[in-house]
Amino acid sequence: MRILVSIDDTDDLDSRGTGEIASLIAEGLQQKGWGTAGMVTRHQLLVHPDVPYTSHNSAMCFTADIVDLELERFISFAGAFLDHECAPGSDPGLCVAQVERLEPSSDLIGFGQRAKQEVVTMQEAFDLARRLGIHLSQHGGTGQGVIGALAGAGLRLWGNDGRMKGALQFGGKKVLPVTELLGHPHIDAVRCLEGGVPGAADLVEIGEKPKTVLLEGASVLLVSPLEREGSEAVWQTVHRRQLRRY
Amino acid sequence: MWRSDEITGTREFTPGKESWAAAARAALECFRFAEDVEEELIADDERSCYNCRYRRWSAASFTCLGLVT
Repeated sequence: MRILVSIDDTDDLDSRGTGEIASLIAEGLQQKGWGTAGMVTRHQLLVHPDVPYTSHNSAMCFTADIVDLELERFISFAGAFLDHECAPGSDPGLCVAQVERLEPSSDLIGFGQRAKQEVVTMQEAFDLARRLGIHLSQHGGTGQGVIGALAGAGLRLWGNDGRMKGALQFGGKKVLPVTELLGHPHIDAVRCLEGGVPGAADLVEIGEKPKTVLLEGASVLLVSPLEREGSEAVWQTVHRRQLRRY
Repeated sequence: MWRSDEITGTREFTPGKESWAAAARAALECFRFAEDVEEELIADDERSCYNCRYRRWSAASFTCLGLVT
């Protein structure tokens, strides 16, 4: 079965980040032979005085394909991991949702979209999780992280929010044709930042630490017209600051 | 460039969220700068207040938690 695993509010100013915690849980899942995990994505939630967060209020989510019988063991593992690894003073939350049990227009997506726009409550999160049969648990502190954890799963399910954790690696190559980029396991599509699709044979200059964003359910590498002269490329991967809104 | 909050002892970056050059300059002058985790970096300048783990984003800008008076 395919699951969405989302966590939030695991860190403080001096601890390891929520993204690293998510990656470690994903690695643990694979090391135990329970299944395979996809890439981790970051999802920005509302920044508001009434929302407690350390510095950025983002949730981290990944998909995984796991053996059906191992779901409960995985949830126990992930919960125990959060209990043990999360920073003192943090308010961690864990969400594990079975994708097959969710409708394409699930209320989970609406919850995620709301959490980017308005203040939502823990009670709303628990009520929705119970109604949709989603695992949602708190692991210390106030447990406020359950809101972001559920929202992160909704936004990942939506497929139009978030950017990947980490950077794409191309073996040191600085210029690649679009066709070769599409062969990368984490790239589903290459699109222009301002709309449109580059030609299959077009060359793309690889910038510093390129990463994909989620658009229409795909992991998309965004490119923009090359800013400098003297290169055979016509496109470049977008700047980090241009990915901020994703 | 900074607006002080006398109650919390923190300071807010007045140029806002899109002043990339100003944020980079401010970080160069700051002895508390500490780069945040990779997934939270948003500025192309590695050393930028926008990339610092001690910035706490707000609706209009960020508050610096690194230099609390």
